[in-house]
Amino acid sequence: MDLNTLVQGIVALLAILILSPLFAGVINKQKAFFTGRIGAPVMQPYYELKRLLRKETINANSSSFISDISPAINLIAVIVAAAMLPVGLAKPLISFEGDIILFAYVLGLARFFQILAAMDIGSSFEGMGASREATFAVFAEPIFFFTIGSIAFADNLTSIYDIYHSIKLNNVTYIVFIVVCSISVLILAVTECSRMPIDDPNTHLELTMIHEVMILDNSGVDLFLYQYSSYVKLCIYAIVEASLFYPFAVQNSYVAVIIFLVVIAALATTLAVVETVTARFKLKYVPQYLLFATAIGVLNLLIYTFTK
Amino acid sequence: MQNVLSIIFCLSLFYLAVTSRVKTYVTVLQLQGIILTVLLLYPLIDHFSVPALILPATLFIVKVYLIPKYIKRILLDLDIKRIIEPTIQQFSFLLLVISTMTVIFVATNILSKSTEIETIPFASGFSAVAVGMFIIIFRKKLIIHVAGFLVLENGIFLFGSTIASKLPMMIELGSLLDIFVVVFLMGIALNKISSTLSGFEATALRRLKD
Repeated sequence: MDLNTLVQGIVALLAILILSPLFAGVINKQKAFFTGRIGAPVMQPYYELKRLLRKETINANSSSFISDISPAINLIAVIVAAAMLPVGLAKPLISFEGDIILFAYVLGLARFFQILAAMDIGSSFEGMGASREATFAVFAEPIFFFTIGSIAFADNLTSIYDIYHSIKLNNVTYIVFIVVCSISVLILAVTECSRMPIDDPNTHLELTMIHEVMILDNSGVDLFLYQYSSYVKLCIYAIVEASLFYPFAVQNSYVAVIIFLVVIAALATTLAVVETVTARFKLKYVPQYLLFATAIGVLNLLIYTFTK
Repeated sequence: MQNVLSIIFCLSLFYLAVTSRVKTYVTVLQLQGIILTVLLLYPLIDHFSVPALILPATLFIVKVYLIPKYIKRILLDLDIKRIIEPTIQQFSFLLLVISTMTVIFVATNILSKSTEIETIPFASGFSAVAVGMFIIIFRKKLIIHVAGFLVLENGIFLFGSTIASKLPMMIELGSLLDIFVVVFLMGIALNKISSTLSGFEATALRRLKD
């Protein structure tokens, strides 16, 4: 890896880490706009993170060392995943043959430790949240593999950077393919980041929570680590979505950055609109909704394989 | 272009598998009608002729306007509940649709090596035939059976367009008339049933005797 690529990778990772709370803030501001409120300032996530850093960390008496290490492992795993994503046309910091599997399972590791920590505390509410999170994760995993994996499968590529750069727009079917892919990635983002209509981040009833109930007993720095990693995760899925549109950039890095920003902005607006107009699904409908996204992924795989 | 439209057609089939509202079925049928119309209109860009417009125009009127309007009227007149009442879970139904579609795509790909067929439109049409049958089998409401029949027919239309690019127009027009008559008869039958039995479910028909 030459110095230029290394610097690009570091800048891209830093951009993700610094700007991810802003992305969440922008979504919340737009959501407030659509519901007719003024809403919190776009910098609110930063203020909240700063507030959490100043607070004392208290763990439940029944918790073990798992609760101590989980928040840090969770954040590190998410940062490693972020380092594997191409931002613009820049080569990511971590890129090798087979990193698509590592990407999926590093995020899986983050989730695993979060679920473990939730069960470690010994509260029935948190166990319930952990169970739900695990169930939905089972249905969410195939979405990623079928959607991004279909391109990997067709071109025999296993590195995320190569996969995204192998999409060529020489066939009109591929344009549809990108649009169809972006639908299933959006559903994946909504699920993984616990947003409406899968989970309501603003809910106040423990029985209906999924992600929020798992971190109910965390405070201070631990809660900061969880919150921050959830912002980074949201940003990661936004980039997974935006990267699908790079073929439109025709190898021009300025155009790629503009496309990146436009897609991220469009995604923020889409999430805000979806959260405004839809109610949360009943829990029994969630697997069906996720399977719908998997179905789209399977269709992608079939189309991409048979039009090659 | 044929591939693009077929993909959208497949997506509409997935949506039919998960939706639980009767009105959505009507909307999806309208969408499929539009897709088929565009599919017929597309070759006309290169070789335009007025007689060739008759089939797409008729298709549009029948599938996008007349049949949906008629079904909507039946829904209003008979005060049918808006939920479709499936006999199996939507989740299992979607799984069934995905696996069937996969088998059909793979089979079509094998078939395309020995005969001249377009894989994606052919497989999409074939899938629609299967999904149409599943809808008829796994739904209780009679009006949904009509919708299932129409999906099946749309599938036949799509897959017919890939096997023989030039089916005689009179045959296509004749089949459109057939469908319209079937839907019309079903409407009349539903009206008659409503005067005898209160529900509009296939299960209620078991009570009918000589």
